[in-house]
Amino acid sequence: MITRRDLFKVAGVGAVALVAAPGAVSQSFGAKPKKISIEDALKEHLGVGLSGLKESNLINVKAPTIAESGANVPVQVSANIPVDQVQALYIFADANFNPWITTVEFSPMNGEVFFATRIKLAKTSPVRAVIKMKDGSLLTASKEVKVTVGGCG
Amino acid sequence: MHLTRRDFLELAIVTGAYLSTNPVAALAKMKYEDIMRFKPVGNVTLIFTTDMHAHLDPLYFAEPMNLLAPKQLQGKPGYITGMDFLKYYKIAPGTLEAYFTSCVEFPKLAEKFGKMGGAEYIASVIKHIVEERGREKCLIMDGGDTWTTTAIGTFTEGKAVVDWMNYVGYDYFVAHWDFTFGKDIFLKRIEDLKKGGCEFITHNVVDELWGELVFKPYSIREVNGVKLGIIGSSFPYTPIANPRQFVEGWSFGIREDQLQQFVNELREQHKVDAVIFLTHNGLPLDLKIAEVVKGIDVIISGHTHDVTPQAVRVGKTLVVIAGSHGKFVGRLDLDIKNGRIRNYNFKLYPVASNLIPPDKGARKVVEKWRKQVADKYKLDEEIGVAEVMLYKRDTFFSTWDWLVGEAINDYYGGDLDVVHSPGYRWGTTVLPGQKITVNHVYDYTAITYPNVYVLKRTGKDLLNIWEDVADNVFNPDPFYQQGGDMTRIWNVEYEIEINGPQYKRIKRVWIGGKPLKENKEYLIAVYGGPPPPPDAIHPDYKPVPVYDILIDYIKKKKNINVRTKPNVKVLDAPYKTYDQCYKV
Repeated sequence: MITRRDLFKVAGVGAVALVAAPGAVSQSFGAKPKKISIEDALKEHLGVGLSGLKESNLINVKAPTIAESGANVPVQVSANIPVDQVQALYIFADANFNPWITTVEFSPMNGEVFFATRIKLAKTSPVRAVIKMKDGSLLTASKEVKVTVGGCG
Repeated sequence: MHLTRRDFLELAIVTGAYLSTNPVAALAKMKYEDIMRFKPVGNVTLIFTTDMHAHLDPLYFAEPMNLLAPKQLQGKPGYITGMDFLKYYKIAPGTLEAYFTSCVEFPKLAEKFGKMGGAEYIASVIKHIVEERGREKCLIMDGGDTWTTTAIGTFTEGKAVVDWMNYVGYDYFVAHWDFTFGKDIFLKRIEDLKKGGCEFITHNVVDELWGELVFKPYSIREVNGVKLGIIGSSFPYTPIANPRQFVEGWSFGIREDQLQQFVNELREQHKVDAVIFLTHNGLPLDLKIAEVVKGIDVIISGHTHDVTPQAVRVGKTLVVIAGSHGKFVGRLDLDIKNGRIRNYNFKLYPVASNLIPPDKGARKVVEKWRKQVADKYKLDEEIGVAEVMLYKRDTFFSTWDWLVGEAINDYYGGDLDVVHSPGYRWGTTVLPGQKITVNHVYDYTAITYPNVYVLKRTGKDLLNIWEDVADNVFNPDPFYQQGGDMTRIWNVEYEIEINGPQYKRIKRVWIGGKPLKENKEYLIAVYGGPPPPPDAIHPDYKPVPVYDILIDYIKKKKNINVRTKPNVKVLDAPYKTYDQCYKV
């Protein structure tokens, strides 16, 4: 089992290139922000929508079934695919205001396709991993994470 | 002994049992020896209890009328009740076994057979099995929800129960409500248990920041020459179902991938002969674990309070669960050779307190604490009489929870629109005509965060909360359920489609007889959940412990007669009502 401490070691050595979601900063002032659909988010980052992705059981998305806090959901993606065939990993949360979470580019130096992080979930949503292969194909797997109201029931 | 005059007459005339030393035994046509009868098998015996909820004294506890399930899960163990349960397991109505395992004719059979469970009777059964088998062949385990939710459990901070566990000689323990004493007391009690030779094992609690294990995940034990690996799992949703503050810094979850790794580790590295999984996951969840995790021989489940008179087989895994409230002691004899279970025999012993001789040592251990708590909290004071049966367990509605709603509304001057009562599956049962004591009130409400809070919520907020809970109860995937029942909602009538889409199950709602308005603000009272943020609490209504409100209300009303008709209409499944099970 890989612990978070191990992961930091790996990340330090293997130089995972990571582009984090810019969040609210990118919203232009004054304009009313609009919920971006998963379809639009996929098109923006990958050029195709859900129908352009192929479901794959080579990808394993590990996340809690019910989040302990929507503000801090541990997500771990690994794939049983040789790393030199992989260009990048994308993570989306379908129901988030802006579904795109992050893009991680891989190099053979990473050794394997493995990435763990914490994400924010606005509400119950599939957490979707998309792997862009070097041959251009797009593989996906997802796991539903439930965010419960809590605290006022 | 709890017998009515009518029973005594029936008994005296029909059976001539007035000559007998134990009239209940004569009525039950069953003796202690019959309860204990068992054909031993093989070389290892697992003895287990679960979800006692700190009931050290015998009690009445009726199994539920309803355990409504989404279509995908209907008819599976964990979702069968009443007559269907008796038919499924071929149990004759009216028997001691029927009384312990179903709601059918409960008040009538309660008069006949008396109270269930109790520390000194559970101890007798366990000691009997251990003596018969030999200690070296036995492992004694408890599945958690053991230290709190009664006066004696909660007000001794679990010490009374831990002393008893050490007296009995438990070997392994996992937890859920036990965590609600907070980390400090919890860890102290774990130490107390350890001194008595009992180990707390839990694989699914990790440090929130680093993901490292907080507790020993499994234990390897040689029992009568057989090498066993025992993995523990505490309730996966403890920080969500109960206040986060009690387990701050710890992360829970099902962690089935990690479980698979530990199973493999036990088999491949440690070459164990069998893998036992002791859990507080809930039966439906564990039935799915048995499907997705390979290599577990036996799952001893807990949490959902189900009763499995026969072991459930899922592939090569046996899944069992020993009910709740101390009503049963489970025994699983295994014949294990060369890493294979060749044969087994299983039984749930009903802890019928009128038929089992009490264990004097256990009585002594408990009596000291009992007296202290009873004196301090006036537990034996009679404060009213139940005119209908007071019970808590059901999918949507119970007489006890309706009473709670009335009492809380009365306390806050009749101002409330809605009262939420949590859908826990624990409590007690007060028979029609029985005196209600202070102790009964604590049996339903003695938690470490008992305050009632009054808040304002819009109709839309309320719908969101109810839909959220409904999905925790009716999600077709047990990994997404929390293993409780629906929040009980006083002063509200609603219609629900349990197979409806997620967050769209509730159809029509009336609050105080008027249709719910989504943008209207309602005054609601809640308790028993994670505490609301301080700024949400209405400043005009002071938080008060729910048990104080109830004790005063019952004293004031004396004769307790609440509605027995559910406030919920289920549109897509049969929903049984009071008269079908409990009417005498």
